[in-house]
Amino acid sequence: MNFENVELIFFALAFFLAALSAAGYLFSLLVKRVMLAKISTWILAGAFLLLTAYLIAAAINAHGFTNLGPRALFAFYAWSAGAVYLVLQFKTKTRLLGAFIGPLVLLFVIIAAGQEAGKTILPEGLQSWLATGHLALSIVGEILFVLASCAGAMFIMQNSLLKSGKFTSMSRLLPSLGDLDRINHLCLLCGFPLLTTGIIAGAFYAAFVWENLWTSDPKVIWSFIAWLVYGVLLHQRLALGWKGFRMAALSCIVFLLLLLTYILVKLCFSSLHNFV
Amino acid sequence: MIILIGLNHKTAPLAVRERLFAGCEDAKTLLPEFLAIEGVAETLFLATCNRVEVIAVIEDNPETIDKLKTTLMKKGGLTDGEASCLYIYRDDKAIKHLFRVTSSLDSLVMGETQILGQAKDAYRQALAQNATGVALNRLMHRAFRAAKRVRTETGIAANPVSVSFAAVELAKKIFGTLTGKKILIVGAGEMAELTGTHLVGNGAEEITVANRSQAQAAALAEKFHGRAVGLEALDDALAHADIVISSTGAPSYIITEDMLRQALRKRKNPLLFLIDIAVPRDIDPAAGEIENVYLYNIDNLQDIVDENVKMRRREALKAEKIVDEEVAQYSNWLKELEAVPTIVSLRTKAEKIVRTELEKAQGWMTGMENGDREKIEALVQGIVNKILHAPVAVMKEESAEFSAQDIVAAARQLFRLDE
Repeated sequence: MNFENVELIFFALAFFLAALSAAGYLFSLLVKRVMLAKISTWILAGAFLLLTAYLIAAAINAHGFTNLGPRALFAFYAWSAGAVYLVLQFKTKTRLLGAFIGPLVLLFVIIAAGQEAGKTILPEGLQSWLATGHLALSIVGEILFVLASCAGAMFIMQNSLLKSGKFTSMSRLLPSLGDLDRINHLCLLCGFPLLTTGIIAGAFYAAFVWENLWTSDPKVIWSFIAWLVYGVLLHQRLALGWKGFRMAALSCIVFLLLLLTYILVKLCFSSLHNFV
Repeated sequence: MIILIGLNHKTAPLAVRERLFAGCEDAKTLLPEFLAIEGVAETLFLATCNRVEVIAVIEDNPETIDKLKTTLMKKGGLTDGEASCLYIYRDDKAIKHLFRVTSSLDSLVMGETQILGQAKDAYRQALAQNATGVALNRLMHRAFRAAKRVRTETGIAANPVSVSFAAVELAKKIFGTLTGKKILIVGAGEMAELTGTHLVGNGAEEITVANRSQAQAAALAEKFHGRAVGLEALDDALAHADIVISSTGAPSYIITEDMLRQALRKRKNPLLFLIDIAVPRDIDPAAGEIENVYLYNIDNLQDIVDENVKMRRREALKAEKIVDEEVAQYSNWLKELEAVPTIVSLRTKAEKIVRTELEKAQGWMTGMENGDREKIEALVQGIVNKILHAPVAVMKEESAEFSAQDIVAAARQLFRLDE
C-alpha cells in the first residue's frame, strides 16, 4: 500500500471536516442555536484527529518530524489552533468561540492545501530538532495569542450588548464575560512562555547554523516586537491588574496592529523565514 | 368515553377556586366517591390553587356526567349560579385540555413546571387507590410525554419571565458561574430578598445586607446566614461585592458614580453587576458608563421579562401543534381500544371451536399420516381466519371513526360473545 496516498486521504478528510465545522459554527451564529455549535465542536474534534493522523503519516513519509514540508507546517498551525480550542472547551463552555476558531482552522488548512507536500522547509543538511522545536513552540504560542484576541473580540461584543441594558438572543448565545476574560488570561499566561522558549530555540539554532544569535531578518525583528508587546499585555494583566474590557480591547488592538505589520513585512521584505 | 370536568383561573374567581380546592384536598375519600357513581369506570383528579380537574372514563350517558358534576359541586359548596364556572369537555377535547394543562399551556405563567409535578402527584394518588385503568394510565403517560416534548422541543420554558430570574440569567452571562460570588443587598425589600434567594440558589455565597435600619438588615441577613451592616459602611461593602441589589426607599441616589469608581479601585475581580430595583432609583445611572460595571434598573429587567413573555407566546404556537399530534395519537389508540376486546374474544371463541372440533375428529384421523393431519389442521385454521378477517377489519375501521359501538354490539350479539 502506498503510504503517500494515506497521507493525502487524511489531509483531504481533515479538510472536509474543518470546512464542515466552520460552516456549522457560522450557521449556529446565524440561526442562534447553541446545539449547532456543539455539533460543530465534535466535527472539529474529528478534523483535529485527522490532522494528527495526517501529521504523523507525513512525518513517517518524510522520515522524521524535522524533514516536514510547508504543507505540514500549515497543517500544524491548524492542528494547534484546534488543539488549544478543544482544550479550552474542557475548561469553559464557550462553544461560540468556535465561530472564530473554526474558520481560522479552515483558513490554515486551505493555505496548507496550496503548499507543496513534498520538499522540506529547512535547508538541506540543516534540519535539526532545534529548528523544529523553534517552529512548533512559536506556532502554538502565536495561536494562543490569536485566541486571546478572539476572546477579547467576543468580550467587546458581549460587553456592548450587556451595557445597552437589553438582553438579546445574541447575548444569550455569546459566552459570558467572566469566561471570556478567563480565556484571555489563560491564553496569555500559557502563550507567552511558549513563544519565549520558541524564540530562544530559534536564536540557538541561528547561533549553531550561522554562528550568530541575532540575524537582522525582518521577520525576526517582527517576532521580537510581537513578543515584547505580548509581554507588556501580560504585565498589565498580572502586575497592574488590568482585566475585563480594557484587557479585551488592548488584546484586539495589538493583534490587529501585529497582523498589519506582519502583512507589510511579508509584502515588502525578503526574509530567511520566507516559508511563513 | 373520556370526560373532563373542572374549573381554572380563567373561568372561576379565586373565592370559588379556594372553596373547591379545600373540598378536594382529600384524595382518599374523593376518589372512591367518584368511582361509586354508576357508569364511572376510571377516574383521577387534579387539584391545585389555580385549577381543579376531574377526569373520568365513563359510559356515555348524561346521568353519569350530571352526577359527577353535582358531586364535584357539593365538594366545593358551589351554588347553581357558580356552576357556570365549570367546564365539561368530552373525548378529544378532554384529552386536549389535559395535555395543554400538563404542558403548562393553560397555566397562568405559561411554561412553568410546577403543574407537571402536581399532575404526576395526582396520578400517583389515583394509582395508589386503584382508580385508574388501561385508558387513564395511558392517557396520563401520554400527557406527561406531551409535556416533556413541549419542554424540550420548544423554547416555552427557555427564558425567565420574572424579574428576579431575569437578574439571575444576566448574572450568569456576566460572571459565567455564580459560585463564590458575593452579593450586597442594599435596603431590605421583598424583591431584593427574592432576587438574593435565586442568586444563592445558583451558587452565590456571602451575602451582606446594608440598610438604614440595622434591625431589618439583621433580620434579612439572618435568613441568608449573611452579615448586616449600616448604610455608613456602604463604601466598604461595595468594594467587596460582585453583585449589588438595591431597593431602598431613598429619595435620591445612594450609590454614586464616585463611590463605585473608588470601590472598583480596591477590588480584585473587575466585573460588577448592579441591579437597581428601587423607584426612585438608588444608583446613579452614570455608573453604567464605568468600565466593567453593568447596571440594570427595574425597567430594563421588566423589558427583558416582557420580551421573554412574547417569546413564550410564539413558542406556544409550536407547543399547540405538538399537543395536537399527541392528542391524535392517543385518541386513535383509544378508539381502537373500543373494538379490541371484542376482536380478542371473537378470535378466542373461534380458536376454541377449532380446537374442540379437531379433538372430536381425533378418532377418524388416527389412521392418517402425520403430514396429512397437519395439512387438515392448517386448512381448518385457514378457513376460520378467512371468515373472521372481514368482521375484524370492519370493526377496526369503524372504531377509527368512533362509530364502532353499533357494529361491535352487533358482532357480540351475532357471535354470542357475551354468553
